[in-house]
Amino acid sequence: MLFSFKDITYTLGFEQTREITVSGSVADGEALVVRGPSGAGKSTLLRILARLQSSGEGDVFLGEKNWLEIPATAWRVSVHYLAQKPALFDGTVAANLAIPFETSVCSKKVFDTELAKTIMNKILLPVSLWEQDARTLSGGEAARLTFVRALLIEPKILLLDEPTAALDENARHAFYDVLKDWLEKEGRAAVLISHINDYEGLKRVSFLDI
Amino acid sequence: MESSTIPISNWQLAFTVLLVLITGGISAFLKLGLLKPLLWGTVRTFVQLSLIGYVLTYVFKTNNIWLVVFMITVMCIIASKTAVKRTPNVPDYPSALAFAALLASTYLVGTIVVVLIISPEPWYSARIAIPIFGMILGNSMNGIALSLDRLYGDVRARVAEVEAMLTFGATPWEAVRSSVRESVRSGMTPTINSLMVVGLVSLPGMMTGQILGGADPRDAVRYQIVVMLMIAAAVAIGCLLLVGLSYKKMFNRDGALQSFMLQSRK
Repeated sequence: MLFSFKDITYTLGFEQTREITVSGSVADGEALVVRGPSGAGKSTLLRILARLQSSGEGDVFLGEKNWLEIPATAWRVSVHYLAQKPALFDGTVAANLAIPFETSVCSKKVFDTELAKTIMNKILLPVSLWEQDARTLSGGEAARLTFVRALLIEPKILLLDEPTAALDENARHAFYDVLKDWLEKEGRAAVLISHINDYEGLKRVSFLDI
Repeated sequence: MESSTIPISNWQLAFTVLLVLITGGISAFLKLGLLKPLLWGTVRTFVQLSLIGYVLTYVFKTNNIWLVVFMITVMCIIASKTAVKRTPNVPDYPSALAFAALLASTYLVGTIVVVLIISPEPWYSARIAIPIFGMILGNSMNGIALSLDRLYGDVRARVAEVEAMLTFGATPWEAVRSSVRESVRSGMTPTINSLMVVGLVSLPGMMTGQILGGADPRDAVRYQIVVMLMIAAAVAIGCLLLVGLSYKKMFNRDGALQSFMLQSRK
């Protein structure tokens, strides 16, 4: 298994707390779809897997390696969480795509502008947006831009929190085409949350219900 | 320096209560609800200042270095408690950190000013050291309170961006660097502004005091220049230290944001 998690335990709610324990795994080239009603703790699970918040118990493995063997900063690049609300920074679209490379962990990677433009094209973001102020993008454009940015830092596992929630029909198809192509390459997998069952474009899908 | 202060007698002092009546009259007329705090504040002003007058007389007379250090340290404790009390963005902030930042910045800058620039005899002269340290503390206190509040407020407002930076492999420092910069800037802005308008908009309190005390305005100006620059340095160091000590508290051991940063302010 490329990525697996065992007995991840966390609590939800404040007054009436519920304890949740989940396990799951995803193989190379596969997408794991996390299903469950609103408030079931799907986003929390993804955030825990990305080490954006701590869990009570449980182990996560990337390949053979336990998550505690990898520094959190490097982990978050390899097991990369893409929030549902797109996070954009002051500056142009190009500047936003370049931002990850400012961190010391990503500084060795090179910002490939050609690759960025190719992916933008595929996902129906016109390259003419390149110099546009990122704060003026629409919700759907912003969501796709942050997805492009996530691909550029070459993660191994993508944790996608309702990536298509703000997208129209065409953009959604384009998104899954890009994700499907991305999964083709060895050593990659995705965990995604989706409320609408629109992942049919993907080749290998498994499910986790919580 | 000749001393030609015109003393204020008890009767003259009592007459200033008239000023309180004016303020109280306005408050009552507009129903501002400030009457009680105004009266309480007036009483405190009288009591606190009268007491400190006796304390200072004693401290100046004995001029003991340990007593001076003790007084300044107590002033730091009070200033740090006050600084963290009025920061709505940071509930339950430990005043120990503010104390550490204030203590270090105040002693560093204050010692330079008293020992190297003013060089009284003896070098720890209470008559010089206590007012100088007091002025530094009064300004640093406001500076660090502003920057602390700004730091937490800014990170809360930019939580999505900070977390995005974390997902790109950022360390806590890399994730909040721009907020840290903003918060130090906001702590220093009032001081920089006062450097710009000093003498044009108002005569600073210390200079006014010296002039009322009969000093040559040109001497008073020299002192004021030293004071302004020392305040700027102390505020800069204090803000930097406190923000440097504070930003890590927003993150857990794994370098992710603490859950309280993601929730509404309580």
